Amino acid sequence: MADTETHPDVEAQQQSQEPELDRGFFEAYAAKMISNPDRAYRMAFYVATFFFLVTTLFPFYWLAMIAISGDNVADVGIFTPATPVELGAFIEIFTQLPFHRFVFNSFLIATVATVIVLFVASLAGYVFGRLRFRGKQPLLLLVLVTSFFPPAAFFVPLNRLFNTNVDVLRPIMQDGSLYNTPYAIFLPLSALFLPLSIFILMTFYSQIPEGLEDAARIEGTTRLGALFRVIVPLSAPGVATAGVLTFISVYNEYFFSSLMTDGRAENWAPMLEGVLGFRGQFAVDYHLMAAASIVAVLPVAILVVVAQEKIVSGLTAGAVKE
Amino acid sequence: MASVTLESVTKRYEDVTAVDNMNLDINDGEFLTLVGPSGCGKSTTMEMIAGLTKASEGDVYIGGRNVTNLPPKDRGISMVFQNIALFPHMDVYDNISFGLRLRKYDQDEVERRVQEAADVVQLKGMMDRMPKEMSGGQRQRVAIARAIVRDPGVFLMDEPLANLDAELKVHMRTQLQRLHRELDTTIVYVTHDQAQAMTMSDRIAVINGGVLQQVAPPLECYNEPKNKFVAGFIGSPAMNFFHGTVTDDGFDSKYMGMQFDPAAHGVEPGQDVILGVRPEDVHLDYKKEDADDPSRTYSVVTDVLEPMGDEVFAYLLFDRDVEAGAEGRGEGQILISLEPDTVVGEEEDIEIVFDRENVHLFDAESTEAITHSIQKRAESGTAD
Repeated sequence: MADTETHPDVEAQQQSQEPELDRGFFEAYAAKMISNPDRAYRMAFYVATFFFLVTTLFPFYWLAMIAISGDNVADVGIFTPATPVELGAFIEIFTQLPFHRFVFNSFLIATVATVIVLFVASLAGYVFGRLRFRGKQPLLLLVLVTSFFPPAAFFVPLNRLFNTNVDVLRPIMQDGSLYNTPYAIFLPLSALFLPLSIFILMTFYSQIPEGLEDAARIEGTTRLGALFRVIVPLSAPGVATAGVLTFISVYNEYFFSSLMTDGRAENWAPMLEGVLGFRGQFAVDYHLMAAASIVAVLPVAILVVVAQEKIVSGLTAGAVKE
Repeated sequence: MASVTLESVTKRYEDVTAVDNMNLDINDGEFLTLVGPSGCGKSTTMEMIAGLTKASEGDVYIGGRNVTNLPPKDRGISMVFQNIALFPHMDVYDNISFGLRLRKYDQDEVERRVQEAADVVQLKGMMDRMPKEMSGGQRQRVAIARAIVRDPGVFLMDEPLANLDAELKVHMRTQLQRLHRELDTTIVYVTHDQAQAMTMSDRIAVINGGVLQQVAPPLECYNEPKNKFVAGFIGSPAMNFFHGTVTDDGFDSKYMGMQFDPAAHGVEPGQDVILGVRPEDVHLDYKKEDADDPSRTYSVVTDVLEPMGDEVFAYLLFDRDVEAGAEGRGEGQILISLEPDTVVGEEEDIEIVFDRENVHLFDAESTEAITHSIQKRAESGTAD
């Protein structure tokens, strides 16, 4: 580095060997990343993943810490629970309120809504994805437009409707109205989450080769039979995606579910109503709410793990000779 | 086993007529091939027989029963598709037994029939394989097994060999013929490949532009084509055509003429006609004894030679100044097939004769065939 004629930077760049500079750890790392951009990308990926995991999982971790801390919420540290650790909250939530009933309500409503949505969206997705008919585009646009409406816009008319006593329903419902029944929840929710599933399934169904449907019809199914025996099984990843999305949305739904019931477990109040039920007039049992939240997550977590199998398995590989 | 009848069947899409007033009788046990260029309506015709598409007009009968308004499952047919269309989420056994299980056959019967069908197409020991684990030929055999297992009255095949490689194609061709002999079922076969149509069928139905051109045994379509389209479509390489007019004593066009008695062939002097001759019905002058009825000699120049091994295709020009057609054969050009041992080079003068026995005449306006061989003028006695 003795030559004073050339700029030291230029000279440094011309050297094939890394000059033996006394660099700190970060400086050295940065130098390596400049010479090898892949390192930088990998680093960026790890950093992003780390932040994503922390922001999603840390609240859950904290929830667990609060749940096992008993009444002393004030003593909960950032990473440690308050001492002594008490696991009683996980039992108390079922004794103080019938929390299992709240979870069951939401679970049942979500299951029914998912089944309805998948069935109706399958039919609609088949029609939009595979048939050609006049007025298809306007109809599709209409479905899209309805899905843009804020759900609250539907609330007042629906609430009036479900609170009306209808004589026809009298033999089935106690007082002839749908208020305080699961119907009042899954009917509007199914309708609200339908457009998304229609679009997902339409895309999947339209990609199943026409020959397979023809083959099924020749072999002895009707069009509907071909849909449910061939097209739906082959679109399993799409059906699983639509199903999981619908289930999670309905399971977590609070707005409609709380307003269509009076908040009591035996009147089909949803899971979130149960979580909030541990908030009394004078005290808030944070540890119970935390424990209830963790319990409430379990059904969805299990469902996603199970459905994951379907979502990742590429069933359509090698479906038809190219 | 069943016959198939199409009665003035028409299929119209919004602004196109895919199939126009088709009348077709397919006999019980017959192997009939629908053949024609791409987009001619042959696949639409088959879809209407299958019931996958509904005819706009006309009726379809299978086994004497009017099935025009029946769904495919009630028509007593089965089908093999061009893209094979095996259900990818089912193994071979489930694929073959799909139709039987839908029809609620009992377990033992299903097993017995699947076993039988698998034997016919030699699929033993592959029952639990998935379609994606099999080769193209194996998949095609599964598709055929799936079609024959229900013992259908009519067996529809929509270009089943189109996606197979050349060697397998020839092999499957013989397999299908053997299958037809064993099953003795009516087979309707769709292809654009006239070689498949010629080799396998009892009769072929040539379709062009949605209109049925000719229904006849393969050799009849070859030797006595009903019109210029059939003449050009059947046979490879295609027939040579010369546009010209009838004169008082024969045919005359820009580059060639031929003498015959117009009256004896039902043409009038001045009429515009097309003369057609197949490449194999043109011979070199010194081999004129190969022709049943050699014409006079024509002097031509060889242009391009295509040795195929068993024969040589020679593109000839009537004149050194003739431009070779950019697309297809031009008027002054003629393609002939020569024996492989013929010694001839490119751009050489040679002499050829036509076999008048196999010269076809078509009306230029209607393209209908007028005659399939040209007789010597009775009274003249001299070779023209």
